[in-house]
Amino acid sequence: MQQVYSTPKSIKKDSTFTFCAGCDHGLAIKLVAEVLDELNLRENTIAVASSGCSVFLYDFLDVDCIESPHGRACAVATGIKRAHRALNEEKFVFTYQGDGDFASIGLSESLHSALRGENISVICINNTNYGMTGGQMGPTTVLGQHTTTSPNGRNVKYHGYPIKTAEQIALCDGTCFSARVALCDIKNIINAKEQIKKCFEYQKQNLGFSFVEILSSCPTNWKLSPSDSHKKIKEELSEIYPLKVFKDIKEND
Amino acid sequence: MSFIEIDNNKCKSCYLCIDVCPFKLIKKSETIGKTGQNIVEFKDENSKCSACKMCAMMCPDIAITKVWKT
Amino acid sequence: MNQKELLKGNIAIAKAAINCGCKCYFGYPITPQTEIGEYLSNEMEKRNLAYVCAESEIAAINMCIGASSSGAKTMTSSSSCAVSLMQEAISYACSDELPIVIVNVMRAGPGQGYIYPSQGDYDQSTIGGGNGDYRIICLSPSTVQECIDMTYKAFYLAQKYKNPTILLLDGLLGQMAEPAIINDNPYEEIDNSSWVLKGAKNRPSRQINSLEPNQTKLNSHIFKMFEKYKQLEENEQDYEDFMCDDADIIICAFGSLARCAKDLCSYYRQKGIKMGLFRPKTLYPFPNKKLEELSLRAKLFIDIEMNMGQMLRDVRLTISHNAKISFIGKPVGDWLKKEELIDAIDKILKENYATSL
Repeated sequence: MQQVYSTPKSIKKDSTFTFCAGCDHGLAIKLVAEVLDELNLRENTIAVASSGCSVFLYDFLDVDCIESPHGRACAVATGIKRAHRALNEEKFVFTYQGDGDFASIGLSESLHSALRGENISVICINNTNYGMTGGQMGPTTVLGQHTTTSPNGRNVKYHGYPIKTAEQIALCDGTCFSARVALCDIKNIINAKEQIKKCFEYQKQNLGFSFVEILSSCPTNWKLSPSDSHKKIKEELSEIYPLKVFKDIKEND
Repeated sequence: MSFIEIDNNKCKSCYLCIDVCPFKLIKKSETIGKTGQNIVEFKDENSKCSACKMCAMMCPDIAITKVWKT
Repeated sequence: MNQKELLKGNIAIAKAAINCGCKCYFGYPITPQTEIGEYLSNEMEKRNLAYVCAESEIAAINMCIGASSSGAKTMTSSSSCAVSLMQEAISYACSDELPIVIVNVMRAGPGQGYIYPSQGDYDQSTIGGGNGDYRIICLSPSTVQECIDMTYKAFYLAQKYKNPTILLLDGLLGQMAEPAIINDNPYEEIDNSSWVLKGAKNRPSRQINSLEPNQTKLNSHIFKMFEKYKQLEENEQDYEDFMCDDADIIICAFGSLARCAKDLCSYYRQKGIKMGLFRPKTLYPFPNKKLEELSLRAKLFIDIEMNMGQMLRDVRLTISHNAKISFIGKPVGDWLKKEELIDAIDKILKENYATSL
């Protein structure tokens, strides 16, 4: 008998995710842990968590981890990466942020890290709302979407447009990799892991700012079952937020 | 006979594994879990499990902790 | 090295930082402290150290959070209204117990104010401008030489107490040149291997975070922080007492303004009035032990500040009813001139000692 699946080593033993049932955060963290295992990065990694549901990262990942103030994860990661270089050490540094964190309150830090080509990796969870505070309209809330602060649906005249983060980050010269993936079915999960792996490998190769946006479900605030949430991503959201690689510095060569 | 191990303390009854199993070997059980709903159980009376791991890959809570293949 | 040179306060701080092993500097330009970043940009690059022209002060202080968690000596510098931008991260860094040196070369406020010297950030620096219960170590140099010495001390205390430390000076001292010596860093290095984040190799993984959903744990964390502050208040109070031994009247002043106060002591002593100066060198911890001792003998304390009376509260809390306290203050810009001060002090003396003048 052969064991073909086990809990990733980079997940803390006996830790239980505190996310809502069916939340894709758990899937995303699991994939990150699997990639850290496969690239043998665990012992050399410093992860940066930020505010929002993403902050609990350090309760689950068995790596050195620091929590940043809301939105500033990329600045904190910049400090970590640069400080270790000043100390003649090379560390693997990534941030794990929500869309509100990365693309709203922290857009300045995020964008400038990408523009500088800061050699860090970013995993950004896009669940189209502010999840932790109970589902308010965020920068990625799609047109027509009902949230607690867009009770009649987001409309352009009143609320303005949402941001397409992976597309914007791909425009930066310092970005080496920018992709959007989803976790709504097995095929997409396998693809998501591949892209996260590429994102992390590019940092190892010193290619610059590498970014993966994960289109994720938020069943509690969407008021849908986990299964219907995945269906919504597959059928509706992936039309608005295309699942593809927007920049790959190696492909462009 | 391939099989999976489920950690009942981690299952939050999201039922994503039920959808994904190609042989429908995972079902709601009689046991109530910590979210107040029936957690899942693995029943493979005809040894159909192929250890495809899709349930484990889909589980957001790593409640499917091990998959064994024979 | 170790020769007297003509140095601006800002440059002296930058040179001392390099000399004491500062590995990371992150900053954003603002008058009157820009020379610190300008000088360090070249020096850090030459040495392959970390220097980032950050996109904002918010980014700069957060880069400091990251860098200091790595165990590298880390510094940022800024001025008043921009230090306000950093307050959130300073609160985090206090809870995270990270040693960061923050140089604040004060300008006049509130709001944008202007680039005139001021001491208007005493409250923000000592009480803290961020949320929650915390304290920041705060050092106040009065000369360019002290800018150097206190830069060393700021790094030392930050590392020793694992707490952000503010070097607080006004634009006058930052922009003023006078002879000073870049001496060697006199402080020992503090071992940080028990808490820095370098990857979980051959040890359990570590976390640096301020979020704590368990209120018992959050309470005990803050109690622990305040144990540390108690140690600071016990061991690190620093001051200069100038002609205080026999003084009837003692001026309380800090920073560049205290230099002027020294002149006043000589001026009044020539007139037969025994005047002294009490100058806190650490604003937090405030040197209340010595001030209280002085208040048991001297009759009158005159607190002089380039603000509307911020240190005055600490002075009052310390002296209480032991002696009389008067205040002379001007919030903005041009330094309180000697003549201006003499007029104001004469008035106070007349009120208190009508017969003696």
